[in-house]
Amino acid sequence: MRLARKDFARALARTFAAQGTWNYGSYMAGGLAFSLLPLLERIHAGDPVGLRQAMDRHLRPFNAHPYLMPLAVGALARLEFEGEDPERIERFRTALSSSLGAVGDRLVWQAWRPFWLLVSVLAYSLGLGPWAAVLLFLFPYNAGHVVLRAWGLRRGWEEGLGVGRTISAPWIRRTARLLAGVDVVLLGAVTVALVAKLQGGGLPLAARALVAAAMAASGIAWPGVVGAVTGALAALAGVVAWLPG
Amino acid sequence: MPELDAWTYLVAVLCGGLVGVDAVSWPQVMISRPLVAATLGGFLLGDPGAGLLVGAVLELLGLRHPPFGAARYPDTGPAALVAGAAFAVSGGGVTSLAVAVSTGWLLGWVGAHTVHLLRGLNGRLVGQPAPLSVAPGRLERRQRLAVGLDFARGALLTAAFLVPAALVIRVVPGSAGGPAPSVAAAVLAAVVGGAAGAAAGGLFGGRRGWLLLAAGGLASVVALVLA
Repeated sequence: MRLARKDFARALARTFAAQGTWNYGSYMAGGLAFSLLPLLERIHAGDPVGLRQAMDRHLRPFNAHPYLMPLAVGALARLEFEGEDPERIERFRTALSSSLGAVGDRLVWQAWRPFWLLVSVLAYSLGLGPWAAVLLFLFPYNAGHVVLRAWGLRRGWEEGLGVGRTISAPWIRRTARLLAGVDVVLLGAVTVALVAKLQGGGLPLAARALVAAAMAASGIAWPGVVGAVTGALAALAGVVAWLPG
Repeated sequence: MPELDAWTYLVAVLCGGLVGVDAVSWPQVMISRPLVAATLGGFLLGDPGAGLLVGAVLELLGLRHPPFGAARYPDTGPAALVAGAAFAVSGGGVTSLAVAVSTGWLLGWVGAHTVHLLRGLNGRLVGQPAPLSVAPGRLERRQRLAVGLDFARGALLTAAFLVPAALVIRVVPGSAGGPAPSVAAAVLAAVVGGAAGAAAGGLFGGRRGWLLLAAGGLASVVALVLA
């Protein structure tokens, strides 16, 4: 049998709900099986036992980054399509599970998303209107998001077992690292611009900037309670020193 | 000052459901981010700009908590919507802003607890593969039910906290620019700075992180001075 374009389209649409049944036991296995179902039904058309066995396999614990999950859907559908040995499919699933999570976290949650959020907040701090700032975040961010999902499904289907090479490609790690560096520069700019925007009267802007800088320094050095306490003390000292008399 | 009528309340509750379900369950297009949800809340109560200001501060606070795996992190959607709406009806003032941000942050952690409970329920829905693999239609129904429950969770959080938050923020001393703006401004600056530092440490740790953060801050100071 051949898989039709609409089967892939249905699978892709379902990956947007991949974490709908996320839980502490099987993680996103329910979402994986839900996304795979249109493809598995076509692959095992007229073979209810084969379909049940495939569903059994894919309802076992699985976790990944939600945006890269289509890569797993494509690759696993390919293996099912080619009648790969079930044990090999299981090993492959396990390997994909950890690597897709790590790559996606680094690339999306720690690089792509902060980048567009910070660009948007900075633009707002510099005078862009509220809705324009929101759209400046939503449109480019989601353009990347949707393209990543569609690319993942296609790449997974085309490469099957070879998809590991795609995930471990050095350009992904380099891009994530570079973007994270840009994010931190933006974060510094946003902090100053936002503190300047928090007009409240009374406290001079320079004193507020001093407070923010002290807290930022302590926060980056000792995140958590120790950083908060030392930062607060440093900030207090800064404010007291600034006040006249 | 805009009022919260029954119609606006209903729309806000539905929006709370949407931003609640977006964070994890469906479709993860990030309308659940504080920047978007708080602006929406402010817009519903007549001042999207006020909402966005709350959202921007909450966004910096949230940057330290990326949603890795089973980690717990604040559920920012309904919380930011409520905080943005509350600040919009407060009449402005930096003390109100500090209260709105605190409210949003606390509600975010309340929301995180409800997410934890929902995940337990999800485990019951799809934890046993056998009945689902025999009847795949059952899996589809349960997947949709779980998404619906997450929507209801966000809507309920908004329904429960929107009115109390809007009332509390109006009775806070100095909320309309009264006696305590200096302290509030210092607290907010400290919160923003601390959050930025902690987030920078998570994004790009080490000495380079320090330098990059300082470079960004310096560039912003220069831009502000030139402007």
